[in-house]
This record gives sequence, structure tokens and C-alpha cells, in this order.
Amino acid sequence: MLEVEQLTKRYGTREAVKGISFRVNEGEIVGFLGPNGAGKSTTLRMITGFLAPTAGSVRIAGIDAVADPIRARERFGYMPEGVPLHTEMRVHEHLRFRAELKGIRGKKAVDAAVERSLAQASVSDAVDRIIGQLSKGYRQRVGLADALLSDPPLLILDEPTSGLDPNQMRAVRALIRGFEGKKTVFLSTHILPEVEATCGRVVILDAGRVVGEGDPSELRSRTSAGALRFVGRGTKDAFEAALARFAEDGELTLESNGELVRGRLVVEGEDAAEKVFRAVAEAGLALRELSAEATSLEDVFASLTTEDGSDDEDSGEESDADEGEAA
Amino acid sequence: MRAAWTIAKREVRSYFTSPVAYVVLLAWTFVSGLSFYTLVYWFAGNPSTGGSDNPLTLFFGGTVLFWVPLLVFAPVMTMRLFAQEKSSGTLEALLTSPVSETSIVAGKLLAAMVFWITLWIPSLLYVWIVSRYGDVDLGAVGASYLGILGIGLFYMSWGMLMSAIAPNQIVAAILTFLVLGLLFTAGIMQFVVHDETRELLAYLSVWTHMSDFAKGVVDSRWLTFDLTMTALAFWLTVRVVSWRRVSA
Repeated sequence: MLEVEQLTKRYGTREAVKGISFRVNEGEIVGFLGPNGAGKSTTLRMITGFLAPTAGSVRIAGIDAVADPIRARERFGYMPEGVPLHTEMRVHEHLRFRAELKGIRGKKAVDAAVERSLAQASVSDAVDRIIGQLSKGYRQRVGLADALLSDPPLLILDEPTSGLDPNQMRAVRALIRGFEGKKTVFLSTHILPEVEATCGRVVILDAGRVVGEGDPSELRSRTSAGALRFVGRGTKDAFEAALARFAEDGELTLESNGELVRGRLVVEGEDAAEKVFRAVAEAGLALRELSAEATSLEDVFASLTTEDGSDDEDSGEESDADEGEAA
Repeated sequence: MRAAWTIAKREVRSYFTSPVAYVVLLAWTFVSGLSFYTLVYWFAGNPSTGGSDNPLTLFFGGTVLFWVPLLVFAPVMTMRLFAQEKSSGTLEALLTSPVSETSIVAGKLLAAMVFWITLWIPSLLYVWIVSRYGDVDLGAVGASYLGILGIGLFYMSWGMLMSAIAPNQIVAAILTFLVLGLLFTAGIMQFVVHDETRELLAYLSVWTHMSDFAKGVVDSRWLTFDLTMTALAFWLTVRVVSWRRVSA
């Protein structure tokens, strides 16, 4: 549905996006993750044609978006960063205007498209309100309704939940998840739980480069070292003795707190927890808690964007790459 | 071109939901009313001095009271066309819609022209007033409005171009005022200089154009001038809007 090849954006000598390639298949929900200023918005703006790429190509539903921009633009609904809307208009006026602009002809068809997209974005109750007077959550959903007007196969959403409160975020995420299998969604975000909550796959961008790609659990397991956390009753020395053989190739940290000992053990193997349990029990010690430490996507993200980012000597300069257009 | 119509409709609506439109309309109606009143008063007091002139021929472009307010109001009328969409971010939504730059620019210019024409509706009252107390050369009145339409295209299109270039509305208005003001000043220099540039300056002079139209003389050179300037500004605006994608 969306193919990006060697996409590059250069501003003078500064390269904001450095020849990135990825693809989004039909029906997938893909998160485009990166720290602020990684070049996410610049990339989305090149995909949607607001910016012309310096080099590289974008294909939307097989159409070359640079050579045939208008036909390509008919294939997607786009919600730009910050959801720019005509604040002096009423919701239905704005959506009618956008529907006509997207080539929907005839009053009946326009009305039907507006009604459908309002319902899809669950914003029907605000239809007569002036956009400038709406709360941010409502505006966000009006923006989503706008993107849905022409019932496009591809949705491109730039930070769809930024500035929303937790309830609104949950509602928008649920809405996006509902598109799975029906529409292709490519959404950018710097919020990790969002990706875990909504996306089947993630492309991680840092300093204008793709530094990771895959499904969230796969990425998580890639950096997961398999740490166990436990709380037991006994002395620190007793635990140290009982777990000595794991500590040889792993890493053991213990701290005692009264009669309790808290510990963290980095150890390989799927049955590590069982082995630890047995070892502790054999030493006559008691365990109160034993759990595998979950590697969050946050850790993956941090390891990918800091390690790879610091290799790149001029990464600091790029950090405000996609803030440039904002003004 | 259907997209141009869609854009023009929205643009006109947005003109008339902003106070700027009403301020401009009110101010222009006041200034032009004052100018008409003064002219009628003067002609009434000096019945023999008129010659071929009457209050209407002088009203349409024959006085400073016509040009100076227009040079101020035209930039205000066009400053928002692109600059506002740039600052509010809606330009991104517009430029990523399946419409061509040409349609967008055509829609914007059409909307500005609707506003320009609205500005002149009250002046029909002056024509009616004069017709009640004397003879009105309807041909000359028609020619005057044709001239106003031509100048409108010229002014609105250049204002639109400046709005596309400028980063915000204030700069757009100032640039438009400078460009139109310079061209206007160059034009009226024809009354000052006496060498061979005089003819060129007269050709550029909207004052000359309008006084011909007001007398009922439809000179195709003047219309050609207006349409050429409009086409140039139109083409440049399309270039500026497309170029944004590359440079922004």
C-alpha cells in the first residue's frame, strides 16, 4: 500500500531524512516511532506531497506520488501534525468543504460521506459547533473524520493523540485499532505505549535514519536480556550462596531489607525462573515474589535511538529537523 | 476547475466571517461616499466648469480620494489569501488534497474578485442618484465598471502573489502596498516627466486607464495591460505555491 524507497530530504547541507526505505502492507497498522525531531513529520510530509523529496521515491497503492501526485493523493486521508482546521467554520461546513475538495460530487454523496465519517470518528454530536470553540479532543476527532471523508484505503496520521487526555487517547487508539484489516494505517508518534496499544508493526526513526523495524514484541525480545526479579526471606549471604552458579555467567544484585532480600538476576534461558526457584528452595530459603522483568518497548527505543544515534557524529544538528516547518 | 469553485466558496464565506471584510466595506463606503458628495457639491457650485466631466466621471478614478484608499484596502483584502493558511497550518491540508495548484490559485483569486465586486455595489447608488437629477451616459458607466473589473484583477492577483510569498499577513499587506504603490506612483509620474519615458509611464498608469474608461473610452491596450499583469501574477503564484513543496 505504501512503499518508501531511499527517501531523502536535504535543507541546504543539512539532511533531515537520510535515504530511508520501508513499506506498509495492505490492512496493516504501522507505527512510525521516533524522538521529537527525528524527521517523522518531514517524512510524512514527503509521503503526502506537502514537501517534495530531495531524492527517493514514494509509491501509494502502486502510484508514484512524485510523478502523479493528484492521483496518489486521492488514495489517502491525511491528518497533519497539530490538526489544522478552519477554526471559523462549523464542523459540518468544514467537512462538506473538504469532501468536495476530495472530489465527492453531489449534495447527497457529500452529506452521506460527512455523516459516515462523523460517525466513524465518533464526533457526530459536534456537527453544528464552531471548530474554534471545540476542545482539543474533539478537534482531533474532526481531523480524523476529515481524513476518513473519501473512505481512503490508506490513513496517514501525524501524532494522532498528541495533546489529548488519557481517556481521549484511549478512545482515539480504540478507533484506530478498529481499522485493522479494513484500512492501512501509518501513524507517527513519540509515545511508546501508543505503539504497543495500536500497532502491529513499528518503524523506528532516529536522526533521519530507520534504526529498527519489526513487530513490537519481536523488537522487545531483541533487547531482552531475561532479567528476573525476586523477593525472598533469609539473609543476603544465603541467597548469594544459593544463586552463585547463576551469577557466574549472569549478573546478580542483592540488597537486604530487614529479614527480606530483594534481588535481580540476569540469566539466559526460558526455564531460568524454574531453576532459580528450585535452587532457592533447595537451599531452604523462601521466596515471596519471583517475576520476569518485562523489557518495555521504551527500553528498546532507548537502546536503539541512543546507541545508533550517538554513532552518528552530526546527530545533534538533526534533532530539530522537523521543527523547521512549524513556523 | 470544480475544486477552484469549492475553494472560492469557502474563501468567500471566510472573508465574510472575519471583521476585516466589514471594516474594509464600511471604510470604503464612507470614503467613496465622501468623495461622491464632495464632487456633487463642487459641480453644483460650479455648473459651467465641468466640460465633459460630471460627478461620475471624476468619481471613477479621477481623484486622489479614489486611489489612496484603494491602495490601502487592496492589500488588506488580499493579505489573508495564502498567508493565513500558512500560519494556521491549513495550507498543509489544502496542498495534500487531490487538487492542482492552478485550481487552488484560481479559487483564491475568484474569491478575492467576489469581495472586490462587493466593494463596488454601493457605488451603483451614486449612479442612480445622478440619474435622477441629470443625464447619465450608461455607456461610460459600463466602461467604468469594466475598468474597475480590470484593475480589480490586477490588484487582487498581485496581492495574492504577495500573500503567497510573505510569511504572514502583515508582511503580505506591506509588500502589496509597496508593489501597487510603486506602480501607481510610477504611473502618475507621467504628469511630471516630459521625456520619452512619459509614454511608457502613461501606459503603466492606472490613473490614465481609469479616466479613459470613465469617459466611456474602452481602450483594449488598458485591458490587455490588466490581463497581462493578472496572468503574470497568477502564474507566479502557482510557481510560488509549487516551489514551497521543494524549499519549505
